[in-house]
Amino acid sequence: MATLQLLRGAEMLKQGAEGRVYRAEFLGKPAVIKQRFPKRYRHPELDEKLTHRRTMQEVRSIARCRRAGISTPVVYFVDYSCSCIFLEEIVDSQTVRDFIASARRSSSRSDQELQRLAELTGRILAKMHDEDVIHGDLTTSNMLLRRSADSSELELVLIDFGLSYISALAEDKGVDLYVLEKAFLSTHPNTEPLFQQLLGSYSASSKKSSAVIKKLEEVRLRGRKRSMVG
Amino acid sequence: MHFTQKLELFPEQHVTQMLFKDVNNAAELRQDAVEGNIHAALINPTMLLSPFQALLAANKAIHSQSIGKMKTRSLNSEIIFNLSPTNNISEAFKRFGISHQDRSLLVVVVHSRDDSEVLSHIAIRVDGQEVPVEEFSSFSDPAKIRKLYKVSPQEESGGLLDAVVCRMATKDVM
Repeated sequence: MATLQLLRGAEMLKQGAEGRVYRAEFLGKPAVIKQRFPKRYRHPELDEKLTHRRTMQEVRSIARCRRAGISTPVVYFVDYSCSCIFLEEIVDSQTVRDFIASARRSSSRSDQELQRLAELTGRILAKMHDEDVIHGDLTTSNMLLRRSADSSELELVLIDFGLSYISALAEDKGVDLYVLEKAFLSTHPNTEPLFQQLLGSYSASSKKSSAVIKKLEEVRLRGRKRSMVG
Repeated sequence: MHFTQKLELFPEQHVTQMLFKDVNNAAELRQDAVEGNIHAALINPTMLLSPFQALLAANKAIHSQSIGKMKTRSLNSEIIFNLSPTNNISEAFKRFGISHQDRSLLVVVVHSRDDSEVLSHIAIRVDGQEVPVEEFSSFSDPAKIRKLYKVSPQEESGGLLDAVVCRMATKDVM
């Protein structure tokens, strides 16, 4: 298994419950490799099917986002035999999480910068949902900021589509935003007005937003799971 | 003038690319390739933006071969197939393979470490002028590429090469 051999010599960046993330050179370019490893607590056949399907979904969501002009890492190569995805490494970037944290620490940087970020994030998420891509794990750590090459404008890059799927349901989009709201407000306390701004920008950018926002309000009252079973 | 890249996934294998202009014997070369007498992929460089595309195609071809999942009959035809945005094999040959009247040519050779003999053996059969691979972009036809891969202006804002590369890598799940 060529890919697994490569990973043995690669630098591991992160280990999660579902997989590991490595950094390595691939065909002369800096790359990030996401591996979903086998879960021994599952029946092998079921495990293989689930893992394969999730890898496919991740690749599909990234491709769909890119077609819509949403920045995500480029997929270079997928090895389905070991569920590894080779992605472009987003160099010279910073997570939205770090950006917000440092912007709030320094008083010199105005609120304007944060407002621009909230506006941008809302707009990009609206575009993603209009393509029926549900990210599944929206947090400020899964969004990167980089200065685009041709201007000094900030560019938002969405990463980690590991839990993503395709759905047109307002319910799923509402839950997606709810997950972000929870993560956003717990990572960055006292930022309710900022998140409201994000939602405002989302509503203004998407034609289908009113149903989604309505669902979001419902979800806030009952929590993420619709049925109480399981 | 050649451009050789080692494959991280297959350290025994190297991919060398040679670019030619003013080619006079495209028809003959094509015939030889079809009959399997040339151990290289002969590619129409107008449909490529960068040597990186050919590298990706070669890497994926060797991978598919190693797990016994090639879609075409040989490694060299698999390289051509992998460049295409669709799963239609004859379409891939038509767009990315060399045709009779072509004047420019990209030769992609998969070989082991020290195989300069193989390379010169192939190069000598091309009746044309070899140019540095850096001149790649002067052969590219972005309008045709944009159309074939169906890249929209909004996607192209992120770069045409990135759009193309992503199509190649994700075509089997779309």
